[in-house]
Amino acid sequence: MAGSGLAPLRDRPDVLLRVEGLVVEFPVGRRDVVHAVSGISFDVAEGETLGIVGESGCGKSTVARAIIRLNDIREGSVMFEGKNLAVLKGEELRKSRPDLQMIFQDPISSLNPRRKVRDVISEGLKVWGSQMGAWSEGRIDELMHAVGVDPKFGDRRPHQFSGGQCQRIGIARALAMDPKVLICDEPVSALDVSVQAQVLNLLEDMKVRYGLTLLFISHDLAVVKNVSDRIIVMYLGKACEIGAADELYEHPRHPYTRALLASIPEPAPTVEVSEGDIEGELPSPINPPKGCRFNTRCPHADEICYEDEPQMEAVGGDHFVACHHPVAVSIDV
Amino acid sequence: MAEPLLTVRDLSVRFPTTRGVVQAVNGVEFDLEEGQTIGIVGESGSGKSVTAKTLMNLLPRTAEIDGEVMFDGRDVRELAAKGEDHFWGVQMTMVFQDPMTSLNPVKRCGEQIAETLRYHMGHDKKKAISESIDLLERVGIPEPAKRVAQYPHELSGGLRQRVVIAMALACQPRLLIADEPTTAVDVTVQKLLLDLLDDLRKERRMSMILITHDLGVARGRCDEVAVMYAGRIVERADSHSLFSDSRHPYTDALLRSIPRIDQPSHTRLDPIPGRPPELINPPVQCAYAPRCRFAQRSCLEEIPEVSGVVGMHSFACHYPANTERGEAALQANLDRGETAGGLHLHAAAEGAS
Repeated sequence: MAGSGLAPLRDRPDVLLRVEGLVVEFPVGRRDVVHAVSGISFDVAEGETLGIVGESGCGKSTVARAIIRLNDIREGSVMFEGKNLAVLKGEELRKSRPDLQMIFQDPISSLNPRRKVRDVISEGLKVWGSQMGAWSEGRIDELMHAVGVDPKFGDRRPHQFSGGQCQRIGIARALAMDPKVLICDEPVSALDVSVQAQVLNLLEDMKVRYGLTLLFISHDLAVVKNVSDRIIVMYLGKACEIGAADELYEHPRHPYTRALLASIPEPAPTVEVSEGDIEGELPSPINPPKGCRFNTRCPHADEICYEDEPQMEAVGGDHFVACHHPVAVSIDV
Repeated sequence: MAEPLLTVRDLSVRFPTTRGVVQAVNGVEFDLEEGQTIGIVGESGSGKSVTAKTLMNLLPRTAEIDGEVMFDGRDVRELAAKGEDHFWGVQMTMVFQDPMTSLNPVKRCGEQIAETLRYHMGHDKKKAISESIDLLERVGIPEPAKRVAQYPHELSGGLRQRVVIAMALACQPRLLIADEPTTAVDVTVQKLLLDLLDDLRKERRMSMILITHDLGVARGRCDEVAVMYAGRIVERADSHSLFSDSRHPYTDALLRSIPRIDQPSHTRLDPIPGRPPELINPPVQCAYAPRCRFAQRSCLEEIPEVSGVVGMHSFACHYPANTERGEAALQANLDRGETAGGLHLHAAAEGAS
């Protein structure tokens, strides 16, 4: 199996979610498969925010969806509270659902347009009924209040709200289940900049108030840095680099991470702008390159990169990189 | 060449709807010199795309347009009335946001570029296709001879946008309007596309209007930037002073609200409260007043005129940020705990920001 190494996994008692060697593949046509995620390992400690960043097609959303089993998992395990979510079935899988909730990119289309938002928020509570304990109008009011939507508008339907408010309602719906893990898949990408900050602050507040652990997926490097404790950079179904948010942006080691940081309109000061000029196109995930998957576009690629797949290795502290030729960084003192 | 290539004066656009008249663009004015780039930034609904479509004569017939648009001494709205189709597509062209929907999915890429050349320049088919190949090569598409025969779905998003750019450049326009040209693509592709547009602009002394919601793109790629809010240009300056010394409280607040890559993680953001106003029957007041930390009574009573030096740094605000007058207004609001617009301010939170 193509694996990117288990080095980033931490042996800590407070690890809440542990993903090991996750592989997700989708069949296309008669014989081909899309290698969407090929052996990713990471963990998330309780109360932590893990950011996943990468360009479209790198598999970041697939990872998130696989964790809550919206996609089938081909190989690997997803350990959550002593259970392997990857192999759960039927009632047992159903019982794991409230603990892991998700909010989606497009706030408006992820709400049922024909239902009142109060019903949208309370549906989960009604389904879980007695198991969740208290379902009451008061609880719904409290949730709406917490996310900053006036409960008196509860009888309105989603189209009567703006995108930002719909995202707040989506967050309230997820929080209603009293989840332990909240998975946010590009939650602010569809929002205007002035509203984006409101929702990001709200997520931080809710994290503290409800004791959440967050998995935050975005293609926006500045947004991911703002919310995350730890960040994974993904490329073509693999993890390139994992590290504490500030450290990763301060001392990016993988050529791809550096290319990303150099490409944004106001490039990070830690990289050369010219590093953003990576050539060529994203290879097809149906037939990914052998060796390092970034070898077709990497300025440092040599023979070994076409032969062997680099494994995740520690490069000091909580910082791991999967590269044969990690870029040396000068550590300022 | 003291005359600017494009002058827009008091441009207003209204759309009658069943719910009332939408005032989409309101008194927009700007100049654009040859070879310069002006950025128009704003959120959805601020009127930036409508402004662009007005210039391109692409608005629906129901739109009510007022004001003057002059291009190299010619009245653009008169050209539209006369049906001079060869103006758009030759002198002035546009690149749209989503390259998937702005290309015809059932036509080969080369034919789509050739179509422009045949219609506007009167090239025959063979010449048009060979010129298309040159254009594709110029916009950095590898194997152009092969790509001309391909359909849009066979190309990646970045390559598709390059085809659209090639098409827009086919007749050597003097003004290119790029409406969110990189919003649908990834950052690494975005950089390459913006670099390409920069190169082409310099090489051809082309002027460009770059419409974007991304302040970073505007800062890095434009000579001048206009900030739009609720259909008006609220501030306009060269991009350096706009971002380092903003005057309009909206510009100021936008800059504070975006997460920055040079801030440590978990930096508390300073969001703009509320949301943009409705454009149907707006009250006679500064449109930003209900969200503004500086707002005083006069902001609710009259719409501020554009002041400052046009072409240098102009803004429409009674109590501009980063000035003594503005700071005094803000301090007065902080002392009272709320603005004249009824927005609650928390002095403690202000101190921290």
